[in-house]
Amino acid sequence: MSSTLMKCLSLANTLRTATLRSLLTSQQKPTLAPWGAVVPALASHVQAVSGIHTSAASLGLMEFFDDPKVWSENEVKVGRAWKPDELRIKSNKELHQLWYILLKERNMLLTMEHECNDKMEVFPNPERIDKVKISMENLETVVRERNKAYHLLETGETGERPQRLVHNCFGLRYMYKSCEHVLPPFMNIKWIKSRNVGFGGRAVRKFLLQYREKLYNEKRKAKNRSRNEVMMILRRNPDFDLEVLRRQFPQVNIDKLRNEDKARGHYVPKIGV
Amino acid sequence: MSTRWYPIYQRGNPQLRVFLPNFWMKLVRPTEEQPPNVVTFAVSTEMTKHDVKNYLEKIYKVPVVEVRTRIALGDTKRDQTYGYITKNDDVKIAYVTMPKTEAFKFPDLFEKKAEQLEKDEKSMDDSKEGFRKFLERNKKRPGTPGWFSI
Repeated sequence: MSSTLMKCLSLANTLRTATLRSLLTSQQKPTLAPWGAVVPALASHVQAVSGIHTSAASLGLMEFFDDPKVWSENEVKVGRAWKPDELRIKSNKELHQLWYILLKERNMLLTMEHECNDKMEVFPNPERIDKVKISMENLETVVRERNKAYHLLETGETGERPQRLVHNCFGLRYMYKSCEHVLPPFMNIKWIKSRNVGFGGRAVRKFLLQYREKLYNEKRKAKNRSRNEVMMILRRNPDFDLEVLRRQFPQVNIDKLRNEDKARGHYVPKIGV
Repeated sequence: MSTRWYPIYQRGNPQLRVFLPNFWMKLVRPTEEQPPNVVTFAVSTEMTKHDVKNYLEKIYKVPVVEVRTRIALGDTKRDQTYGYITKNDDVKIAYVTMPKTEAFKFPDLFEKKAEQLEKDEKSMDDSKEGFRKFLERNKKRPGTPGWFSI
């Protein structure tokens, strides 16, 4: 047991210290550092460890399946997802490589999940899919940040897809994402017609009136609720710390509420004390 | 995002490149018997035959001869209590033909499941037995922690 533990710990140390660059550029197959790094030290025995996910070119279609060692396990322990801060220190090339590792990992997990569902078996640790998803989202965020910075430097614009607020046929505002067209705007009759949405009409006016009433009522009720809550607190605890109340309910005028009849407890007020 | 926002393609423009593809692909067990060099995949619905071919050749280094696809309709199901209908997503099924020399057989993932289950049950029985012994020993002195006596 001790030898395996030592091996695991040393592996964890090397993975933690070594950067992805060294791992990727060395002769070894590309590895997914945090997935293996945290785990081996934690799970030193018994538990199935989906250790380091390697992706060799020779595996071919078997890359769609998990390690055969963990096929029949009930629990597969893995590490956490990649954090944005860890990804920010990687180069573009490394991020590009990591994207494909994550993509393969996700395909593998989806395949395993599908097969497990088909065979009426329990898919071990389904949160692995979420972890890959979070990692991929974080990676995209980082790439997007870099893209924005580059565009701002070169062109003075963010390079993001242009958006603007427009009204739809119900008179509600939404973000319209612009897209490229083959025809210029003045020639594109179909587009002009599709954009020409007026929202006059009795039905729309009635809808908007009631919709706004609904929004207003929600706001009003929330306000009343917090006001009543404050009064009940003051009634039950006359010596309540007002600063805490003010911080908790910034919208409520506490000084005014203190003189309310509802905020007074069921006791005879002390006069002249 | 700008990496997901592609410019409109017009003839003569440079070829569009995908740097961070977000297509998914599942290798699924074929429902009907297939030749050994045909593999069945469930893929993102927006993938084309060319996408499937390029995906497998470039990312997985699997030689591909031909790809045929169809879109499988998701199952609809009526709720037993309230009667509303739910529908699963449609999914594209791709039948990928590899060269004649290649062969792929879908592996049996749960071959050793029974063995493993037996092992798990045995360890569970062992721990149950241990707990029973502990209770037996502590019958006359309830609440004593396990480390108290030898």
